[in-house]
Amino acid sequence: MTEPRRVRVTADPGPRRPVAATRGIALPDAPVDEADAVFARALRRTQLRLALGTVSGFVIVTVALSLAIVAIPGLDGIVLLGVPLPWLLHAFAYYPVVLVFALRYARGADRNERRYRALRERE
Amino acid sequence: MNPALDLAAVALVVVVTALVGGYGLRVSRTTSDFFVASRTVRPVWNASAISGEYLSAGTFLGLSGLVLLGGARGFWFPIGYAAGYLLVLMFIAAPLRRSGAYTIPDFVEARLESPAARRVTSVAVLVIGWLYIVPQLHGAGITLGVVAGLPPWVGAVTVAVLVAAAVAAGGMRAITYVQAFQYWLKLAALLVPVILIAFAVGGGPYDVPASVVFPPAAGPAEIDAYESASLLLALLLGTMGLPHVLVRFYTSPTGVSARRTTVLVIGLVSAFYAVSSAMGLLARRVAPDLAEPGLADTVVLVLPSRVFPGLLGELLTALLVAGAFAAFLATSAGLVVSLAGVVSQDVFGGSVRSFRLSALLCTAVPLGVALLTVPAGLGASVGIVFVVAASSLSPVLLLGVWWRGLTARGAIAGMTVGALSCGVALLVHGAVGGVGAAAPFLAQPAAWTIPLATAVMVAVSVSDPRGAPLRTDRTLARLHTPERA
Repeated sequence: MTEPRRVRVTADPGPRRPVAATRGIALPDAPVDEADAVFARALRRTQLRLALGTVSGFVIVTVALSLAIVAIPGLDGIVLLGVPLPWLLHAFAYYPVVLVFALRYARGADRNERRYRALRERE
Repeated sequence: MNPALDLAAVALVVVVTALVGGYGLRVSRTTSDFFVASRTVRPVWNASAISGEYLSAGTFLGLSGLVLLGGARGFWFPIGYAAGYLLVLMFIAAPLRRSGAYTIPDFVEARLESPAARRVTSVAVLVIGWLYIVPQLHGAGITLGVVAGLPPWVGAVTVAVLVAAAVAAGGMRAITYVQAFQYWLKLAALLVPVILIAFAVGGGPYDVPASVVFPPAAGPAEIDAYESASLLLALLLGTMGLPHVLVRFYTSPTGVSARRTTVLVIGLVSAFYAVSSAMGLLARRVAPDLAEPGLADTVVLVLPSRVFPGLLGELLTALLVAGAFAAFLATSAGLVVSLAGVVSQDVFGGSVRSFRLSALLCTAVPLGVALLTVPAGLGASVGIVFVVAASSLSPVLLLGVWWRGLTARGAIAGMTVGALSCGVALLVHGAVGGVGAAAPFLAQPAAWTIPLATAVMVAVSVSDPRGAPLRTDRTLARLHTPERA
């Protein structure tokens, strides 16, 4: 009877992969549990939907404003302070649109994050 | 115009910049201070600084020139610049802040776990940054030429030396205060003359009727749809790809404050652009004779002395010169800070000493280019930078933040294709001025290069046998979930 071969027992080193040089950036290495991952993915989707919705709204309003400036007859005849109204609208009317959409998005994104926090704390 | 007064205004801006920078230097201690101001800058300061470095020579001098030269078409530029921050806010502001990286290449490497993708990104960042610094130096040359008759190299060398010295001395912390101060200086330098000139000429009576000064043929109705749409797309998406815009978000303490800062920035730059557009309208009324390609960029500097001969006009011109120099200094300094951050981490070890050395290197190259080239229109040169950024870096950032399937090979292929295709299109357009039906697509390539770069990125990523990095889900979770309170 031959003696069983001795087997050295060590920790499994796992697949050998070179560690990426991260130059001091803390990569997210904390273990992620399943519920957290699901919530995180849901939050990402919600934020993307909010962003795409805001972009669509912004594009629609911008195109509508441009068409209105071009297509409404008689605007050229209205002159304020020596400048025709279409020029004034083109020069100044788009900035409030940008700002309104920015405020709406920022508020919506904060709200989504508060909801995510509330969900995670309940877990 | 009074050269002595104008040069005194430049000297004053320089001295105040040095003093504010010196204050910043006293509080800069660590490597983190140098790179990202230790992430403790309050939203109002940060927003002023972002706006301060965003408003470049192209906007300060170029916008009024564009409106004078091209009519209402010129208004699309500032609208695109402002709306570009809307996209920054929605797609990347908070996620990039939460990524914890110092520079765009840092983000790409951490997200894609690939040193090769990092190197390609670094090259793109450097090229875009250099392309953007050149018109700033040209603008400085033009300004000193107009107000004091100095040869163009004097302005370029002055700005380059000041910027390299300030950045090498103080890093990001000092630059934050300098740029915040320069936003308010630029706004005041444009707002005061606009109000005074508007009161002087705005009430009438007019010698020339409105339909001649603002002809419908140059008005909003006569705008080419493809050209405007392509330009707007480039400006909207290009903003997030500018190297000096992103590095600023790393200085916000949290993702939520990064968003708040961006909303403030949109308000601040919109206010400036509205004033700048008003200047363009006044320029058409007061100085229609300057509507020539070489002269239009100088109209802002010439306008006050046309309307107010005598001391008031001279003082207003000096104020405008001060604002213009603040624009050259702030934008170049912001660019040099972010480029030096990239070079010092990629080529050297990332220490404070290597940051200083990189700052000198990153100023010397565009200075050489600026001295060897003749300035084209400032507004148009800046527009080209946006096209290149939008076709190379913006797709990587967007897909990297929102699409888990992006791989390093896809990112490299897409960036290369995007940068090369728009580079070739713009070079061909510059060389032959358009070929028949292809002319508009060469002059404004953004509408096809951005989708092309994005499509290549997606296609190569999907067919990449290695697939997305293993830690993608964790990285994305970190980008999108709020910090623990």
